[in-house]
Amino acid sequence: MKGTRTASVALAVTLLLLSLSMLTGCSGKRAEVVLRVYNWEEYIDEGGEGAFLFDFMHEFDDNGEVVLGADGKHVHIRDGLVDEDYEEWYTSAMGVPLDEEGPSMIDDFERWYEKQYGVSVKVEYSTFGTNEDMYNEIVLGNEYDLLCPSDYMIMKLAAEGRLEKYDSTFFDESIEENYYIRNVSPYIREKFETNAGLETAEGAPRWSEYAAGYMWGTTGFVYNPAAVSREELDEKGWQVFIDPAYSNKITAKDNVRDTYFAALGVAFEDELLSLDRTDLGYNASLTRYFNATDEETISRVEPVLMRIKDNIYSFETDTGKADMVNGKIWLNYAWSGDAVYAMDLAESEDDTELAFYVPKAGSNLFFDGWVMPKGVTERKTKHAAQAFVNFLSMPQNAMRNSYYIGYTSVISGENDEMLDYADYFYGVDRDYEESVKYDLSYFFGDAAEIYTIPSQAMDRQLFAQFPPADVIERCAVMDYYGEEATVRINELWSRVKAETLDAWAIIVICVTVAAIVIGVVAAKFGGKIDFFRRKPKKGYSLVKQEQDRGD
Amino acid sequence: MKIPRFSRKTLCIPYAVFLVFFVIIPMLVILFYAFTDKEMHLSFHNFIRFFSDPTKLSTIVYSLVIALITTVVCLLIAYPVAYILARSTLKRKFVILMLFVMPMWINFVLRVNALREIFNSLASAPGMEWLGSANYFKTVFGMVYDFLPFMILPLYTTMQKIDPSLYEASADLGGSGATSFFRVTLPLSMPGIMSGVTMVFLPSMTNYVVSDMLGNAKVTIIGKFIYEYFGSDWHMGSMVALILLIVVFLSTWFSGGFKSEENVRGANL
Repeated sequence: MKGTRTASVALAVTLLLLSLSMLTGCSGKRAEVVLRVYNWEEYIDEGGEGAFLFDFMHEFDDNGEVVLGADGKHVHIRDGLVDEDYEEWYTSAMGVPLDEEGPSMIDDFERWYEKQYGVSVKVEYSTFGTNEDMYNEIVLGNEYDLLCPSDYMIMKLAAEGRLEKYDSTFFDESIEENYYIRNVSPYIREKFETNAGLETAEGAPRWSEYAAGYMWGTTGFVYNPAAVSREELDEKGWQVFIDPAYSNKITAKDNVRDTYFAALGVAFEDELLSLDRTDLGYNASLTRYFNATDEETISRVEPVLMRIKDNIYSFETDTGKADMVNGKIWLNYAWSGDAVYAMDLAESEDDTELAFYVPKAGSNLFFDGWVMPKGVTERKTKHAAQAFVNFLSMPQNAMRNSYYIGYTSVISGENDEMLDYADYFYGVDRDYEESVKYDLSYFFGDAAEIYTIPSQAMDRQLFAQFPPADVIERCAVMDYYGEEATVRINELWSRVKAETLDAWAIIVICVTVAAIVIGVVAAKFGGKIDFFRRKPKKGYSLVKQEQDRGD
Repeated sequence: MKIPRFSRKTLCIPYAVFLVFFVIIPMLVILFYAFTDKEMHLSFHNFIRFFSDPTKLSTIVYSLVIALITTVVCLLIAYPVAYILARSTLKRKFVILMLFVMPMWINFVLRVNALREIFNSLASAPGMEWLGSANYFKTVFGMVYDFLPFMILPLYTTMQKIDPSLYEASADLGGSGATSFFRVTLPLSMPGIMSGVTMVFLPSMTNYVVSDMLGNAKVTIIGKFIYEYFGSDWHMGSMVALILLIVVFLSTWFSGGFKSEENVRGANL
């Protein structure tokens, strides 16, 4: 008996020690810097099958099964997208040979940082689903070192003083490791320095002080050319949202800002189309229309939103891609990166072609950037945070991320490497008789162009991933609405999303509920509540009540 | 070695700690947020805003109606099943019961997603196109599917506890099948009905995952409101949560959920 007890005590002590050692043991090989990165879901190259390096290291047969190159070597990379010696570059940069399984960007950063700076780093990577979720986490005091909010959220965070500025050396182009500033597109650089020309930019903190770009894009419609023709879209524009011809065949986004933006497009399409495109202030006027949040605008947009709700198939955040591919819907209001993803998926899975359309009247232009919350200096993580941004900005890595997530990197590359990327996937020989010139000089600088097939230039992946200049000119950035207007818009959204009963119906229901409540209460306390009789004396209560009940 | 002796009081400590940190303090925080404004000053603004906004009141009503239909349908399906299972002399009735309960072991998001896919493929069949936009129908269907085990289990356990000699007595005294059911089975299974109803009714008012996934996000119930407000305005979100709490409290109270078992055993409705 006693033996058992001793044994169990010994067991308990062993277990306790074991768990303690496991708690501390996790950090047995401790990293000197822990970098906490908070990014969108599925917004970085996570390696493995389907990732850039994997796909380029392997050959696939007709069924999509993996077949290694004939000599077991990495044929595709040598075939030459990046360099002749990509593997060599990789090995020298990361300090390890290229893994055939396809390494993840985060692991690669850890290797690269340690090799470059001699300090070991551990990235704690977590993801969020909406800007608002991320904002709540920050306000609640969760400590992160690097975040990836969208344009308006960068402005909100900066205005509230929650962000740390980038070091001035970060923008020094003469430093070899400053990959961001050396490779970022001149177009993006200008946008980040002027806050994309938003009106609230007057006196507000510059994006460029607090943020380094990551991905950007436009919104538009992914459409199924088998069901909807391009001419129809040209003719109807934003009105497809309320056109009964597409009833239950179109989707909107399940968040207030994007759907409000779309409703503004529907409501003000005529005004937007009548704007003079040659006017220097064209984009500014357009931006003003797409950022109106006053009462008058809202009262004009509200019935439009109601009609949109009645006409669409669903409000969605990510089911639209699948619904588009399986043909359930014909039109999906989407971000350009998701559009690329949907087009790729439809091609590889169903052998069908989808296309992307940006309304003539104008659409949305967005930027996501890396920012550092306050406290990175105290935590001594600022250096690693900035290095992370620089690492992602190497053209080789920008390609990997772009390939994986479908969105467009802000990186153009010192030697226009991203243009080579576009050319590799979408380009054709310029002598090919059907080839068309696709001008991207606004993004890459002078005379940057590739030759491609007409469909890519018009409405396919190339068009979605690298929109032509005339599309960009008719796109407006969404501003941060401000506290008061945000409340207004959110109220509008809840009115739209919920069914509102008529006042009389509410009254009738309330009266009925109240009647039931009173009835139930009366039934429960029947006989117990009696104001006209005095309380029984102490000690008599039980007997008295029994008698009452007997009556 | 001396075994430490625990008094009843010390045994309560773990639960008391849990109660304070995970029930009482969060409730107080919700209460605090509901009645303050952005500057953390005392304010009844959100309270007034809620009751002067037809949208919010309508959503409460819609949620109640959806929850009510779900509960009634669950009860109509679960009662006969539980009745048959409890009274049958099948040797393998345990297996049948398991078949009803087993779906609970699979993650519910997964199940709802599967249901969504089934609806999708059904809706593409000729003559079934209406299903694609029958959002309220799909939502209620999903809720029933999700919550049915929570109705069957308490009903089954209650009915199993009913002494079979009571049925015999009823028959001996000349009661017909219907009389036995209404005067013996039904009153005695009331506690099971009550706990089943509570377990189905309350979650189906707030389970917006089902309404979002199956109702194409076009069906809004009160839980979704709370979720959305916590993205932008914690104070209003807390107020909605608080009001829902009161509604839940009242409905539990009326259904006798707070009474102890002995009292409920009688025909309490």
